[in-house]
Amino acid sequence: MFQNKEMKPSELFEQVYETASYTESVLHAHLELFYDEGLKLSKESDRRYIKSESLGLLDGIPIAIKDNINIYGYKTTCSSKMLSNYVSPYDATVISSLKKAGIIFTGKTNLDEFAMGSSTENSAYGPTKNPWNPDYVPGGSSGGSAAVVSAGSAVASLGSDTGGSIRQPASFCGVVGFKPTYGTVSRYGLIAFASSLDQIGPITNTVDDTRIIFNEIQGYDSKDATSITPEYLKLDNKKVKVGILKEFMQEGVSEESQNEVNKVVSLLQEKGHEVTEISLPLTEMALSVYYLIAPAECSANLSRFDGVRFGIREAASTSYEMMNKTRSVGFGEEVKKRILLGTYALSAGYFDEYYGRALKVRSKIISDFKDAFEKVDFILSPTTPTPAFAFGEKTKNPLEMYLSDLCTIPANLAGLPAISIPTGLSKNALPLSVQIMGKPCSDYSVIDFAESIEEMVEFNYSANLLEENNES
Amino acid sequence: MSENFNIDDVSNLASIELSEDEKAKLQKDLQIILEHVEALKNVDIKDEKIDIHPLSKVLELRKDESKESLKHEDAMMNSPETKDGHFVVPPSIE
Repeated sequence: MFQNKEMKPSELFEQVYETASYTESVLHAHLELFYDEGLKLSKESDRRYIKSESLGLLDGIPIAIKDNINIYGYKTTCSSKMLSNYVSPYDATVISSLKKAGIIFTGKTNLDEFAMGSSTENSAYGPTKNPWNPDYVPGGSSGGSAAVVSAGSAVASLGSDTGGSIRQPASFCGVVGFKPTYGTVSRYGLIAFASSLDQIGPITNTVDDTRIIFNEIQGYDSKDATSITPEYLKLDNKKVKVGILKEFMQEGVSEESQNEVNKVVSLLQEKGHEVTEISLPLTEMALSVYYLIAPAECSANLSRFDGVRFGIREAASTSYEMMNKTRSVGFGEEVKKRILLGTYALSAGYFDEYYGRALKVRSKIISDFKDAFEKVDFILSPTTPTPAFAFGEKTKNPLEMYLSDLCTIPANLAGLPAISIPTGLSKNALPLSVQIMGKPCSDYSVIDFAESIEEMVEFNYSANLLEENNES
Repeated sequence: MSENFNIDDVSNLASIELSEDEKAKLQKDLQIILEHVEALKNVDIKDEKIDIHPLSKVLELRKDESKESLKHEDAMMNSPETKDGHFVVPPSIE
């Protein structure tokens, strides 16, 4: 597009910003827009293309960043009152990589506070609406990042995925969401929630865009102790073995979600791929494992927010009182709930019963996936048990909300690459998706295979908000 | 296991002050979650090892070498109160 002079980066940036100017009033997907800086950088990109000195495929592309990833000189609030005044003193490694590639940042996107939630209803700055229907949630925690791509106020975005926080909102907003293999993308500069589960990944309109962005952000980083030097597996995707996970094709997962998997299975079989049912009974324990490990890690990670080095501070006469009051005022209800749960799970006398036990069951789940991938190349499932739900529908009982990540959590526990791609619409005209999981470090094969499914299903719908505006 | 959960003890450990309303709501929600995770007791974990990294990577320390890092003033710039390059906090002992 830029190479053959169809459009200049500054024109694309203006177009995206114009879209944001009307979508934001409905959606509240960006927390902050970087218009002046973005326009300036996009004009620099214009000049590089004129001189045939572009930095690559991503030069001049406007991308939104989830507001838990640090960009030097800009606020990183994590959608929390606690960090309402925090300005990043450094770039996250993924941001440094994207800057070198000439990416233009549109701004920072809304999320559930500290990435804890599945709807953005936990944001201290108000929820984001779903571009397909503003009465419904966009999913979470990367709800803002999914909504901006779906609404066209960014070409792509970065999110973070701890239990499905990229894939679930991507599914709810009808776009592509990819959680890479744990360790392949540096977490340096991502405000930590649960360190053994968190991964940064792209949200895009097409699988090819996902491939391009993943290519730019992946790689070993010495600043992240859990980073790996990936040796990517390359599978021949012409004829593959696909496993359908029995546990996600039964009660608890809607018929509509199951039908999307069945539709894709028929298409795969027509192309000569081998599809078999597989069973991993311990995936039914994944939610319980997750809700002990993630809160335990969160309670340790969020202990740094004490009013001393960053964030807000409440006035008090002693340090101890200051910390208690600051944390009481700064954190919202869901964050407090998870810190308390994690503190309990790690406390003396309960560590082995809760956290220790959860870690051991996690090891068994990892081992079960290893065995499954001896028999199949990919595992196919719905991304979410239902399409997007209405605001307030799942806020009464925490388990109901947590169950919306039922199908996505296992990939985080086992560190697997997993991608969500849109395949159809529900009876309420909301997007439905399937998820493809692969072996560790089979990221590019998962992407290639997802692209072949994308071509087969031909999902050609766009969000209602866009259609309404185009008609007006 | 979950009958031993005491919200006052745990909020004290977590250094979070809670109102009475918050205590009632959080106690109820946490009880629901703790009852749900009871199911893990039925999984046989005898002889099971623990992996800290999901891909079993052995975590290593960085090499002991000096490198450019965050500037002192940048590290301090978000603090609510500083003086002479130090963080200032209220007294620790009354």
